Amino acid sequence: MEIKVKKLEEEFGKDLLIAQTPSDVEALRIKYLGRKAEINQLFSIVPSLSKEAKGVWGKNLNILKNKITFALSEKSRGLNTKEEKIDLTYPSARLTRGSRHILNVVSEEICSVFEKLGFTVVEGTEIEDEWHNFSALNIPLDHPSRDAFDTFYLDIPQPQEKHRGKFLLRSHTSPSQARVMKLSKPPIAVVSPGRVYRPDSVDASHSFMFHQVEGFAVDENINFAHLKGVLLNFARLFFSPDVNLRLRPHFFPFTEPSAEVDISCFICKGKQEKCSLCKGKGWLEILGCGMIHPEVLKNCGIDPKKYKGFAFGMGVERPAMLKYGINDIRLFYENDVKFLEQF
Amino acid sequence: MRFSLNFVKELIKVDLPAEELAQLLTMAGIEVEHFEKQGEDFLFDIEITSNRYDWLSIVGIAREISACLGERFSIKYPKIVKSPLIKDKQIKIESSADCPFYIARRIRGVKVSISPAHLKERITNCKINSINNVVDITNYCMLKWGNPLHSFDEDKIEGSIYVRRARDGEKFIGIDEKERILNSENLVIADEKKVIALAGVMGAKNTEVTEKTKNVLLEAAIFSPLRIRHSRRFAGIDTDSSYRFERQVFADYLEYASAQASQLIAEIAGAEFTGYLGAGKKPRVTDKKITLDLDKLNEYLGAEYQKSKVKSILVNLGFIVKESGKFKFLLSAPKHRFDITREVDVYEEISRIYGYDKIKERIPAIPHKVVKNEIYEFKKELRQQLSVLGLSEIITYSVEADEDLGKLGCNNLIKLVNPLRAQENSLRPSLSLGLIKTVSYNLNRSRANLRFFEIANVYSRQANGFCELPHLSIGLCEEEKDLFYLKGIIEEIFKFLNINDFEFKEKSFSFCANALEIFVNKKSAGFLGKLDEKIKNEFGLKKELYLSELDIASLCAAKKLKCYAQISPYPVVFRDISIAIHKDKHFSDVEKIIKEKEEYICDYRIIDTYQGKDLEKDFYAFSLRVFYQSKERTLTSEEVDQIHNAIRELLSKQEGIRLR
Repeated sequence: MEIKVKKLEEEFGKDLLIAQTPSDVEALRIKYLGRKAEINQLFSIVPSLSKEAKGVWGKNLNILKNKITFALSEKSRGLNTKEEKIDLTYPSARLTRGSRHILNVVSEEICSVFEKLGFTVVEGTEIEDEWHNFSALNIPLDHPSRDAFDTFYLDIPQPQEKHRGKFLLRSHTSPSQARVMKLSKPPIAVVSPGRVYRPDSVDASHSFMFHQVEGFAVDENINFAHLKGVLLNFARLFFSPDVNLRLRPHFFPFTEPSAEVDISCFICKGKQEKCSLCKGKGWLEILGCGMIHPEVLKNCGIDPKKYKGFAFGMGVERPAMLKYGINDIRLFYENDVKFLEQF
Repeated sequence: MRFSLNFVKELIKVDLPAEELAQLLTMAGIEVEHFEKQGEDFLFDIEITSNRYDWLSIVGIAREISACLGERFSIKYPKIVKSPLIKDKQIKIESSADCPFYIARRIRGVKVSISPAHLKERITNCKINSINNVVDITNYCMLKWGNPLHSFDEDKIEGSIYVRRARDGEKFIGIDEKERILNSENLVIADEKKVIALAGVMGAKNTEVTEKTKNVLLEAAIFSPLRIRHSRRFAGIDTDSSYRFERQVFADYLEYASAQASQLIAEIAGAEFTGYLGAGKKPRVTDKKITLDLDKLNEYLGAEYQKSKVKSILVNLGFIVKESGKFKFLLSAPKHRFDITREVDVYEEISRIYGYDKIKERIPAIPHKVVKNEIYEFKKELRQQLSVLGLSEIITYSVEADEDLGKLGCNNLIKLVNPLRAQENSLRPSLSLGLIKTVSYNLNRSRANLRFFEIANVYSRQANGFCELPHLSIGLCEEEKDLFYLKGIIEEIFKFLNINDFEFKEKSFSFCANALEIFVNKKSAGFLGKLDEKIKNEFGLKKELYLSELDIASLCAAKKLKCYAQISPYPVVFRDISIAIHKDKHFSDVEKIIKEKEEYICDYRIIDTYQGKDLEKDFYAFSLRVFYQSKERTLTSEEVDQIHNAIRELLSKQEGIRLR
């Protein structure tokens, strides 16, 4: 037994000196500690020895085994391990990730700009009645926008309250104004995003369904300067910190005075004849706004002598198209993954 | 609308370069979309808002330019001659609501020929074709005053003139030579026998002024804007005349336009004015008195407008201004401004000319209110989490074809009364159709790995009206992803919403034979399933689609605040069980036993499934790996074996379950 153990130890010592590479060390590990290793055969002899020898040799063999284990691990750690070179120019793995629809991202972004100023988000319903969509907003009964050419009417039986008129798919997000004002007392500051519908034939710049964000504030001291300030803040945060605003007088039945708002072109920063975005005009129209018409306040139960308000409404598709250079509105609704994965 | 600068210069002096003028008008509310030089003239294409009918005339534009330049506008009006009266004809107006006022002038001995160059240039530069001297003169006067005129060949008119509704089925051939069948929505001008004009829209071929015309009857009138709008829409025509009538015309200018046209025809076509006839009453414009308070004006706008400048702006716009106290004016609005009725209307007039740019931006101090829109925030959070799960958000149309929705078993739909096309005629009560169509669209373009979700409202009819609710839909069409991947997504949603009380129950739907109804807090909240082969074929889907739809409000109501769960520092050990199960039994029968058994079981999963000949008939096999862990200590091997064997024993006692 003694000779065998000694021989094994010597042999291991020699082999260890020769070993140069990690694979040499691995070969030694298999030879000396593997299932068929000699030391295991020696272990198997131990039970047949005398009681005294059993104790001695069991212990010695264990010591040897530990020695070998330790020596091998020391050896492999001390070896100058040389990494194999990999061809790192191989193509990367093709990953897929989830994505948010750009229209909802833009809509949320618009809302969040106003939320930071203290506006609250209120979503209206898409099924509305004539009163909220038109009458409350000072849109007269014979106004062209009420025609079946410009608004989708629904076959839901008319509500009990006759003044509410017929049910329809809202043609703008402005009915939220009427809904919120009827239910709450000033001060009010609300943004209201959502889907709206108009019977437009679908082409590169029209869709019968699109998105808007409406915003309005009502309080005792609200004025036109506040409207300008809030919109300038929006334009600079959403488009670019160096854009300027231009308000052009316009007409909406629900605001007075009213304005259309342009931002200075954030691509050519002013006038460049061949600018692909503003076509050399230097300005891009983004929204409509104004001071809430006193008649609208009155219709919604707010005293126009005491309170004043401003309101604005913008599409979501247009700012999204401007900001990201999307040239066809249909792309938003086709949901081609090649489009979706870009955002 | 297009106007010619030289035409404007007939009325006022304009020294401004065209570009500056364009800028000036745009900033005053007349948006110049485009302008260009044409010979010695400049042509401006402008957009006119619906409240400003008065800008649809050269007089109106000239007045506005004067105001913008800080000048008072004045104009020379033509002389109105109303005699002799025409005695051999009558004008009969059926309804004064459709036509409150109608006048005619008789001009005899006209020599119809081409127009002189100057006249031709004026009207063609305003985008109107030159026809002959008589027609061109009526158009010239329309452009100038804003009141459309029409000239009839008087010799072709039989008897008196009637302003009446068309009879159903009555035929009308316009000067464009197209035949149109009219109905009672159309207002017409007729003689004793025939229709001679579609009132305010277009004259008829039968009384058109041609080179053979000797005598002309010149019409000028006020028609109801609404009637003209309906009439021209039903007839499917849009003309320069109807465009103006629809937006209103100024009654005070009616006589001027008519008189000037008559005068010009006499001069240019060598004719003679021989008679006048009128019917109805010129609508009266009531004088509107408005008090303007300068302090209120500046408070409303947040501006510092100066009194003297405010006054001159109003005067130049045609207001009659009287000072009333130190900071107040008593105003009378110009008669042609039907749109000015109250103080805020005056605020707009002043700020329009003063300039919105003179108002400095300010940020309002909005009193803080703690209001959270729970559903909005919830949807935002959900969208975020679903995209983290690798799904792509889509937006599909809320309006669909009833036929397609019917294929998914959706009925009793809310329908559009006036759909644009048959493929969009109903409101969807489910998001699934949009999902199916999106997958189909992408598969047709050979796109792979389709994982979609949408959050949008669905609509259904209710006994007392309608119901509109937000839903979530999820669709999965990807190699090696099956219904259980989708089920995993749903469970993951419940996990991040911290919803523990949920359950899947087998149920068949009309388009998913293999489906699970999803219960949240014991209430049905949606489903998930595999789209049936039949539906797949109907929509041309070439691959399997797994889809789910959930009610957002149920999820939002069930979600719970998260609470950190202690992570056990002790090791996890596992044991495998090989089980064969009869096809009438379910995995859930095995699951139930495991779940009930032990607190030390922290997880379990199927690691292998097997279907082979060595199995009993109608049995299939799988290996289940069960993981054990304690939160308080390291479990001993013996302990784990004991629990594991207990489970094995419980399972082996089940009918239809064999341990292998």
